[in-house]
Parts: sequence; C-alpha cells; structure tokens
Amino acid sequence: MTTLIAKTVTKACVPIAILFSISLLLAGHNNPGGGFIGGVMFASAISLVYVVFGLDYIMSICNCKWEKFFALGLIISASTGFGAILFGHNFLRSTFMELHIPLIGEIELVSAGIFDIGVYFVVFGSILYIFKSTGDDE
Amino acid sequence: MDNFTAIALAVFLPFALAFVLPLVEKLLKGYIGWYAFSVALLSFGLIAWVLPVISDGDTIQGSIRWLPSLSIDLSFYADGLSTMFGLIVSGIGMMILWYSNGYMSKKEDLPRYYQQLLFFMGAMLGMVFSANTLQLFIFWELTSITSFMLIGYWRNKPASIYGATKSLLLTAGGGLFMLAGFILLRSITGSFELATLLHDPAAIASLKTDPLFLTTLILIIIGAAAKSAQGPFYIWLPNAMEAPTPVSGFLHSATMVKAGIYLLARIHPLFSGTEAWFIIVSGLGIFTMLLAGFLAFRQTDIKAILAYSTISQLAYMFTMYGYTTYHEPGIGVAAATFHLLNHATFKACLFLVAGIVAHEAATRDIRKLGGLRKEMPITFIIATIAALSMIGIPPLNGFLSKEMFYETSLEMGHLLGGVFTYLIPAAALLGGVFTFAYSVKFIDGIFLGERKKEHLPEHIHDPSFNMLAPAGLLAGLVVLIGLFPSVAVHYLIEPATEGILLENVDLHVKLWHGFTTPLIMTIITLILGILVYTKYDDIGERQDKMNVRYPWLSINYFYDMIVDGAKNKSSVFAAFMQPGPVKPYLVSLIVLFIVLGAIPTFFVTATLIPANLNFNIPLYEGIILGLVIISAIATAVLRKYLQAVIAVSALGYLVSLIYIYLQAPDLAITQILVETLFTIIFVLVIVKIPQTFKETISTPVMIKDLTISAAVALTVLVLSLNVNQGIVAPFESLSYYFIENSVSLAAGHNIVNVILVDFRAYDTLGEIVVLCLAAFGVSNLIKSGVERK
Repeated sequence: MTTLIAKTVTKACVPIAILFSISLLLAGHNNPGGGFIGGVMFASAISLVYVVFGLDYIMSICNCKWEKFFALGLIISASTGFGAILFGHNFLRSTFMELHIPLIGEIELVSAGIFDIGVYFVVFGSILYIFKSTGDDE
Repeated sequence: MDNFTAIALAVFLPFALAFVLPLVEKLLKGYIGWYAFSVALLSFGLIAWVLPVISDGDTIQGSIRWLPSLSIDLSFYADGLSTMFGLIVSGIGMMILWYSNGYMSKKEDLPRYYQQLLFFMGAMLGMVFSANTLQLFIFWELTSITSFMLIGYWRNKPASIYGATKSLLLTAGGGLFMLAGFILLRSITGSFELATLLHDPAAIASLKTDPLFLTTLILIIIGAAAKSAQGPFYIWLPNAMEAPTPVSGFLHSATMVKAGIYLLARIHPLFSGTEAWFIIVSGLGIFTMLLAGFLAFRQTDIKAILAYSTISQLAYMFTMYGYTTYHEPGIGVAAATFHLLNHATFKACLFLVAGIVAHEAATRDIRKLGGLRKEMPITFIIATIAALSMIGIPPLNGFLSKEMFYETSLEMGHLLGGVFTYLIPAAALLGGVFTFAYSVKFIDGIFLGERKKEHLPEHIHDPSFNMLAPAGLLAGLVVLIGLFPSVAVHYLIEPATEGILLENVDLHVKLWHGFTTPLIMTIITLILGILVYTKYDDIGERQDKMNVRYPWLSINYFYDMIVDGAKNKSSVFAAFMQPGPVKPYLVSLIVLFIVLGAIPTFFVTATLIPANLNFNIPLYEGIILGLVIISAIATAVLRKYLQAVIAVSALGYLVSLIYIYLQAPDLAITQILVETLFTIIFVLVIVKIPQTFKETISTPVMIKDLTISAAVALTVLVLSLNVNQGIVAPFESLSYYFIENSVSLAAGHNIVNVILVDFRAYDTLGEIVVLCLAAFGVSNLIKSGVERK
C-alpha cells in the first residue's frame, strides 16, 4: 500500500480532511454536519495515515492516547448538562445567544454546540482507540 | 449557620470528603486514617451543635429541592431520636477510625478502607435524618451496600466473599420488602413524608383501621428484622465477622444493625398500640433473644461470640419496642432506647478488645486463648468493665437498662395477665442468664485460666496507644453513664423517647431504686448464670452434635440450599442463553424481529400490499437499486472473506447514493464515512484469519437459513410499504414538532443535528457513553486475545 503516490496523496489530503472535519463540526447546527459526522471524518483522515504510513510512523510522531480524547469528550458533553443545572434549568437544557461581531456579522452561539464538540471528541477518540488496538495486534 | 444546614452538612460532608480521599491520601500517605477521623469528628461536632436545641424538645426540619416532578424532596428531620442516633454513629465512628490507625497495617489498601467507612457513615447519618421514607430507603440500601463492600474487604478470602454476599442478599433484599411496605403506607396515608405523618393523628387512625395495615406492618418489619439480624435473618451477622474487626465493631454491632431498631422506633407512633405490633415485634424479639443467646454457647471464634451476643442484645430492644399495648403506649420505649445507647458503648468496646486480642495473640479461637490477664492488664480491665456492663452488674450502664428491661417485662406480664404474668418475666430472665454465660465466657476464655503456650506467641503485651485509647474511652463512658445516668438521660434518652412517643417524657433513672423485684431478678440471673456457666462447654458440645446429626435444624442449611440451587440454575440458564457462536444470537434476534414485525403488518393492518403503489421508478434509481441487489447477493454467495467484505462495502456506498437521491445529505455523509472506516477495520482484521469460509453448510441448515432470510425480507417489505403509506403508525408523526420548533427553540436550521444535540441530547449522551464503553470492550477483547497467545 505504501506507494509514493499513496503517501503524497495522503500528505495533501489529510490536513484538508481534518480542516473539513472541523468545519463540519462547527457548521453542523445549520448545515449538513455535526459532531458525529465531523468526528467520523477526523477518524477517517487519521486512519488514512495509519494505513498508508503504518502504526510505527504515527507512534514516532506522537504516542496518541485516544482514550484521553473520548474521556475529555464525555466530560465536555456531560458538563454542558450540569452547566444547565447550575443556572437553575433542567439537565442538558440548551440556550443560545446572538452576538454581533464587527465585519463578520451576526453569529449565533448555541450551548448545544459545546455538547456537539464533546460528541466530536468521543466519536473520533473511540473510533481511533478501536482502530489502534486492532492495529496493535499485528 | 442555621440548624438545618448543620444537619445537612453532617450528612453530606462524609460523602464529599470521602470522594476526595484518594487525592488526600497522596499527600498524607500513612496518616490518612487521621483525615477520616477528623471527618467523623466534624460530623459529630455538627450534630452535637444542634443538640441543645433538640434536648429542649424542638425539632429541626427542612428540605432541598430534588425531584419536584415526583414531589420528592431531599428533606431532613432531626428530633431526639435521630439526633441520638446521629451522635452514636458519628461518635462510635470517631473511636473506630482512631482505632483503625493502630489496627490496620500500612500495607493494606487504606484509601479503599477509609473511603468505604466514610461512605457508610454518611449513608447511616443520611438514613437517620431522613424525613421521607423513600430517602430513608435509599440511604438504607446504601448502608447495606457499603457493609457488603466492607465485609468483603479482603477480596481474596472465600469466607469474606461468602459473608459479604450473604449480608447483601439478606439486608438489601429485606430492604426491598421494606420499600414495598413504604409504598403501601403511601397508598394508605397518601404521603411519603415521615415527619408529617408522625404529627397527623387522623392519618395514623385511618392507617390502624385499614385492611392493609397488617401487610404493611409485616413488610416493614421484614426489612427491619433483616437489617437487625432478627428472627430467621440472624444468619448473616455471624458470617459478617469476616470483616476487619473495626468494621465489625462499627457496622455490625454499634450502628448498621441498629438501623432496624431505628426504623422500629421511627414507625412506632404509626403502628404501635395494636396487637399485631406487640405479637410480631415482641414475638420476634423474644424468640431471637433466646435462640441467639443459646447458640452463642457453641461458638469458638471470639468475634462470633460477640456476633451472637449482638443478635440477642438487639433482640432485647426489639422485645421492648414491641411491649406497647392499648393501655400503656410507652411501656418499653424508654428502656429500649436507653439500652440501645448502652449497647453501642459496651459492645463497640468489646469488639475493639477482640480486635486487640486477635492483633496481639494472632488468633481468635477461644480454645487457643487464655490467661492473658498478666500480659495485657489494661486490656483485661477494659474488657471486664464492658463485659460486666453487658451482664448488668452495678454500677455500670448495662445494669441500669437491664433493670429497666426486667421492670418493663414485669409490667407487661402484669398487663397481659394470666399465664403471661410469669412467662414474660421468665423469658427476660432466661435471656439475662444466657447473656451472663457468654459474657463471662468471653472474659474467662481470653484472660483468665491457664495460658496455652503451644498456641500463642511468646511475647504478648498491651497494644499501642491508638488501639487502647478508643477502647478505654468507651469503657470510661460505660462507667460514667452508669454512675451519672441523669446527664445521658436528660440530653439523649428523654428527647429520643419524646421523639418516639411524641409527648413529654420525664424519666428518673437512678442506680439505687431500693430492693425492688427487678433487683431480685438480677440476683437470680447471677445465681442461675453461674450454674449454667459450669455446664457451658458441655452445652456447646451437645449443640455441635445436634448440628451434625440434624443439619436441617440450622437456617443456614436452607440458605445454602437456596443460594447454591440458584447458582446452578442460573449457570444452566446462562449456558442456554449464551451458547457462544454468533449465529444463534443473530438467528434469535432476527426471528424476534420477524415475530414482532409480522404482528402489526399481517394482523393489525388490513392490507398487506397497499393499493396505490407507485411503480414508476426513474431509470437512474432503478440502476442503483439493481446494483444494491447484485452486491447483496454477492455478499452472500462469495466464498472468500475479502470479496464478501468488499461486496458489503459496495452495498453501503450504494445505499448512501440512495440517500443523496432522497435529499438526505447528513445521512449520506455519515453512511460514506462509516462505510469507509468499517471497510478499513474489517480488512485489518480479516488479514489475520484464513481467507475462505471454513464451515460447509449442510442442506437442512441452508434451507432453514433461507427460510428465515425470506421471512425477514418479506416482513421488511410489507412493513416498509405500510409505513410509507402511514398505515402502521397510529400516531401523528413527531417530525412536525421538530420541524416547527427547531429554529425557534434551538436556533438551528439542521433539524437532524438539533434533534441530536438539543431535543434528544439525553439520548445522545447515553449513546456516546455506550460508544466509549464499546471502545474499551473491543480493545480489551483484542488485548485479552493477544495475552492468551
């Protein structure tokens, strides 16, 4: 699999795919996308690196502990729920506000978006965790 | 800080501080026991702080909003009774945690030990201060669970596991009966709130005439008896002695086993004054008092002797709380309450002594111990004080409550008249004789007589200060309460009795009453006790012989039969439900789907195939569907894994094309991405296994499989046709709500996403938790497979 073409394409694609996954995450509330899709996109991008360059290559760059990411994601998602309790609402009650930023225009900040970020972390963390442990076996 | 805050803090601080205990342990290392001690001290101080208010006859009540939709609040109610219990729990807790610093080796898993002890203390405090029955139940079961974990503290000992399981099954199981009783109580009186119920004479009157009164009472008493090891439920307590000794002293003598007694006292105003109350509660008490006192004779483990003595002493309290009739509502209450306090002091002290002996002499077998009075003089004195108090020798506190017990027995017998005039005092006297025998045995067996050199270490001495001091303090309390009972009576017993009887109580407890009948009974007890004690070992041997000859005489025989039987049955059931290969699971799932899917489609809906079907399929759609069919067949037919996997992937990608065609971009993106990842992972896995299907499928199996497949296909076809026509679903589609409210309520235009992260965020949270667990599961499966190689 590790032909020069595959390597080159991967190098070009992966950064774009990661950026795309983030844009999917952030755009998700109003356009196609969201935490789940973004997370799977991110996981696909990284898994491409795994497949093309091998496990050892990734390990040499960073010894990523993916379980930390999904733990973090769970904390983020759950804490948005508890955050609502702190403000006297029910668990996971969401809220939103509109911000006017000069030059950019109106932006809607949605608390559910933070929840979605948690989902994003959980999804890519757990997929890559499974992926890595499957690959480890080889 | 107002009084309510103090009570709430006393309950919650142990929990909160126990949660951070592992972190604190990193700082304090071996001194973590002192941290736990100070937590208990804090709770004790907070409860003691409200004591002046309580002893003036006031009550404290308040609540924190918890489940408003079910009208259940986290509410606390402090009166004399709960405050006295609170002080006992936190006070004995202090002594036990202090003692643990000397008892527990630094090599043990100390954070777990102290954390669970603090959890237990918090749960116990929460239980006694609960103002509603549901909250009481929750804390009640929490104490059962922490007790389970503490009995099983030494996880590798089979005896610990046996004892822990037994205690959990009986106490937590009994708790469920109690819950049923509380629910009945709610349906009769209309309230979960204990505090309101107690002060509502109309509700109490209606309860007593209700046809379900007896059922409710029995259910609640089962819970109390299981927790307090009364009646047939006593069998868990002796096995619970596998716990570390401080735990036994704390949970299984001074506090947790008294939860049942607390419950009796708490519901006393609701149920007492009826014949059922007297017969059930006192009957259970007298039966257990005599049985446990008698069975103590054959015990050889010093902790087991104490366990049986605890059971019989708790039975005293059961008996006395039961001594309530129409004529004399409060006859035994003060005596029982006083005995409860006294028992907590002398029995905890005795357990601490047992721990000291086991620690120094390295055995708990009374046949191997003996003659330690010279080597452990201080321990000997402490133990003697506590044991004499249990017997009821003046001027110790046990004497006072024992006298009151005799007095109430006499009065009760007198009230009932007839043969009971003598029978009830006689039963009390016999209980006292047994108590004398096992108390003397405890002292005689350990400290008096000859030193058995062959069994004991050469140098035995009094233990370290940290073990001796708590035991000494408790022994001091035994003497102090005995000499100056009026202080304890005024600040603790009177308010507690008022809390139970709900009226003003004026008690006069003095050491010297004059030459009364109870005093004569005490003297008779001593004389008979000495006579019985000369035959002590003889009786024990006879009991052993009986037990060998007739094993079914023991309740344990039936317990083991039931539990072992359940284990066997469940393993048979598990083998049936989980045969191993994946195929049976899939088949059962699919067959279930066929059955459940066929019911609405074939029986509920009128038409199998709707009339107005549209067969006008565009060419492009037709091509995609044709390819879907081809790849589905290919998946089933191809003989190599890699080919089959690629066929499945092709199917997945084609489905995503259909999504795009149906204008569902979210679904399409998800489908493509998941399909890609799925293929990669599948390929990673299958390179490890042989590339052809190994099993050849025989014709009958093939026919069976094909039939099932055809049935699934048919069910899905008919179901989806009908769903599409809106025939199956009798309700209005939910999607309109989401479409209408997505922008206004959640400020999002992508409805799928809004549903996921906002409207149905709770579901999503659950799903991502499952995802994490699944990731761990997969990883562990793979790792365990690697290790096995």
